[in-house]
Amino acid sequence: MKCPPLLLRLGIGRRRFPVWLPLFLLWPVAAAVIIVLAPLVLLAALILLPLGWGKSVLLSGLMFFGVLCALRGLEVNVNLGNRLVQISFK
Amino acid sequence: MSDSQKRILDLLAEKKISVDEAQRLLSLTEPDKDTGTGGAAESAGAKGKAKYFRVQVQPEAGSGKKSVNVRIPMALIHAGMKFSALIPANASDEVNEALREKGIDFDVRNLKPEDFEELVAALTDFEVDVNGGREKVHIYVE
Repeated sequence: MKCPPLLLRLGIGRRRFPVWLPLFLLWPVAAAVIIVLAPLVLLAALILLPLGWGKSVLLSGLMFFGVLCALRGLEVNVNLGNRLVQISFK
Repeated sequence: MSDSQKRILDLLAEKKISVDEAQRLLSLTEPDKDTGTGGAAESAGAKGKAKYFRVQVQPEAGSGKKSVNVRIPMALIHAGMKFSALIPANASDEVNEALREKGIDFDVRNLKPEDFEELVAALTDFEVDVNGGREKVHIYVE
């Protein structure tokens, strides 16, 4: 079972040392929001079913979760000399 | 069994070629995995599953400190490709129409997950090295 990234290392600008953001603290909050919004999403899916978007609405949540989990291991390091961009999902 | 193999066996049965010759010819008709004739998926399997798509731009010595290093998980590419399944039928028509207006005659409904899998498998052998004098660009899959 894949799990979403737990840490995000972010360094933008002239900062020499990147910041470690604890993403794992956000996931319980996100889970609570998803549980609250789930009935609304189901309702939206039912309404949009005749238009052909119902299945897409239902699947999109799962797809986004898949993308979120797949972010683990993504690394972007750009060094422009005086500016630095460091993004890393762990 | 392929047609060429059957033909060799027929020639052997008709005693037009010897057993040694038939054996040699049959060995030539067997698919050779080392030469990549088994397709991209086979070669990907032989090399192991690709995990990351890497793009590196390294400066040559003494030409500044600018550099780019991007590592994209293949799982992220897979997950992105799955989004094509979300496109409803009527939206596909609109996308096709928009593409046609741009001069691209392509039906997005023809995009199949199997095609993406084949493309990703083929990326295992993908490697680009560009030495532009000041920078060195290296694109590969690991």
